[in-house]
Amino acid sequence: MTATPTRNPGIEDTSAGVLAVPRRSLGQRALSGGTVLALVALVLFFFAMRPDVFLTFTNVRNILYQVSILAIIAVAQTVVMVVGDFDLSVAATSSLSGSVAGALLTAGQSVTVAVLAAVAVGLAIGLVNGLLVAYLNLSAFVATLASMTSIVGAAYLVTQGTTLFNFPAGFTQLGQGRLLNIPMPVYLAVLIALVAWAVLRFTTIGRSWYAIGGNVEVARLSGISVRRSRLLAFTVAGLVAGIGGILLAARLGSSSAVQGSDNLMFSVAAVFLGMTVIRSGAANLGGTVIGVAIIGVMSNGLNILGVNSYVQQVVTGIIIIAAVTLSSLKTRSR
Amino acid sequence: MRMRFTALAAAALAAATVLSGCGGSSGTDAGSGGDGGSGKPFKVIAFTSGNQTPIGAWWVKQVQADAKANGWDLTMIQGDFDFQKMNPQVESAIGQGADAIFDGYTDVASISSIVTAAKDSDIPIFAVDAGTEANDAFALNVTSNQQGIADQTVQEISKQLGGLQGKNVMVIGHDPHPGIRMRASLAEAELKKAGANIAGGSIQKVKSPATGRTEALALVSDYLTANPGGLDAVWVGWDDAALGAAQGVSESGSKAIVTGCDASSEAIAAIQSGTSPLVATVEQPWPSVNKTVEDAILAYQKDGTKPSETFDAVDTTLVTKDNAASITPSDKLGS
Repeated sequence: MTATPTRNPGIEDTSAGVLAVPRRSLGQRALSGGTVLALVALVLFFFAMRPDVFLTFTNVRNILYQVSILAIIAVAQTVVMVVGDFDLSVAATSSLSGSVAGALLTAGQSVTVAVLAAVAVGLAIGLVNGLLVAYLNLSAFVATLASMTSIVGAAYLVTQGTTLFNFPAGFTQLGQGRLLNIPMPVYLAVLIALVAWAVLRFTTIGRSWYAIGGNVEVARLSGISVRRSRLLAFTVAGLVAGIGGILLAARLGSSSAVQGSDNLMFSVAAVFLGMTVIRSGAANLGGTVIGVAIIGVMSNGLNILGVNSYVQQVVTGIIIIAAVTLSSLKTRSR
Repeated sequence: MRMRFTALAAAALAAATVLSGCGGSSGTDAGSGGDGGSGKPFKVIAFTSGNQTPIGAWWVKQVQADAKANGWDLTMIQGDFDFQKMNPQVESAIGQGADAIFDGYTDVASISSIVTAAKDSDIPIFAVDAGTEANDAFALNVTSNQQGIADQTVQEISKQLGGLQGKNVMVIGHDPHPGIRMRASLAEAELKKAGANIAGGSIQKVKSPATGRTEALALVSDYLTANPGGLDAVWVGWDDAALGAAQGVSESGSKAIVTGCDASSEAIAAIQSGTSPLVATVEQPWPSVNKTVEDAILAYQKDGTKPSETFDAVDTTLVTKDNAASITPSDKLGS
């Protein structure tokens, strides 16, 4: 039996059912809109500081290019966090997938073989994570922390601790090519985000994920196969992270065991920021995209203003704390 | 019950006997000769935190091979950049006794507890690239000449730009690495002295070597977006970040040139291509540095002689398109 929840915490804000929710106070509205307002405020601030640069086509494209791969990894993290879990291995998975693609390409394999193998690696890691969490009942934190450790080791083995490079143009075009003067990773990030959004919003499995994230027991009693759904969420996350890793390798024209390791922290930050956007405080794709945009705008803007990178890191941490605090306040007020 | 306890104790005793018969920890590579004057093999504890880097991995293999040839009883400890794990392992090995300690690419600032343990046990530490300045922690520390690296790269930038007066140069460094921190600071000073403007006003800092390439790419791209045509050159403290900076220059359509340091395969290939903004890197002579330090250990093994100087900074080689083909990349050492 497959049940469709009537009150879905992740999508209720945008559904017709929102009318059933009690009217919110001004403070609650400020909480919900705070993250979006923060993004608008950041854009306005940086535009005011550098009106000649910040909102030019070149710089907006620059921001989109810089966050495109983070956006893909954040989509992977969102899917797992919708289910109420956590995946610490997304960045390591992307590194290993990129390393596998790089190793196969340098060994003379075709781009198709390398890409398919790298995607398969991401899928397999996601499947293993899902089995550990859903069927062996390990905590997602522990399971993905352990798998992350092994995955990083495997990436070192694949790359022999070196940086692999000299990839064929057919591969690097995936990350460096442009269509209508927009880099390919931007299109792919938008496509992946749209597909994930549609799956979460319109399909039974997407609604099942939200139901499980809302309340596992209720979801189980509603007839949802919790184990299978969690397994699928982790598998999808692995697959998407793998695609992100391939694009990162293509974008840089190289792959190494630790490439893109900061994507773990930033993907979690983006999802947390996104959780403050909707009333329920659940992970959601639209919110994640806003979270990614905040991170991208902030990094780019601070670079343009010449702010020290150490200060940038401090500011990023403070914004994450603020977001989590907002999210927590919202959860308490529900 | 008593029978079971006795059996358990016997089994434990037997296991301990077997283990002690194995002659050391799992990291021990027993040598076949050498006596250090007492009939026992000369015992060396080697350690590195950088075993996951190409140069660190090469060093581990090289020392293991040389130890076998020298007849050393070698305990090799690999730290994976985790000092909380590595330092106690080294200290524990020191507690079991050794004749010499061999530090590979692990900065003195990170091993103060090891230095203390070694001094307490009166065991000398010989080191490769373990600090940029002389100090009393080591019987010998040989590294590359940071001033030489800064001189060579800045002079190459000057040569390619036809002088540095009024030129805009971005300097990208990474503070946690003592070598990069020192050479970036020296390069910045030289560039300023020659009349160049430091883009952004000071050294741009990359936070993590793992993400150095993407961080440098973003730094350069964002700077050039804000300041089109605003860079004549980018000086970068190591090749991986230099390759990211070069990509940022290319994607921005800038004509700026880039220099790095390390002589990695990828950097050498980029220089040889002639199409990359990366025009130069620097080769640090690690095989000869390692041999110098091992020779010092052998001299100490022979008659207890310690080097007269505790610090040496050796010259490096600038790598450009002209000589790139003759350089062994740092990530291909020993292969």
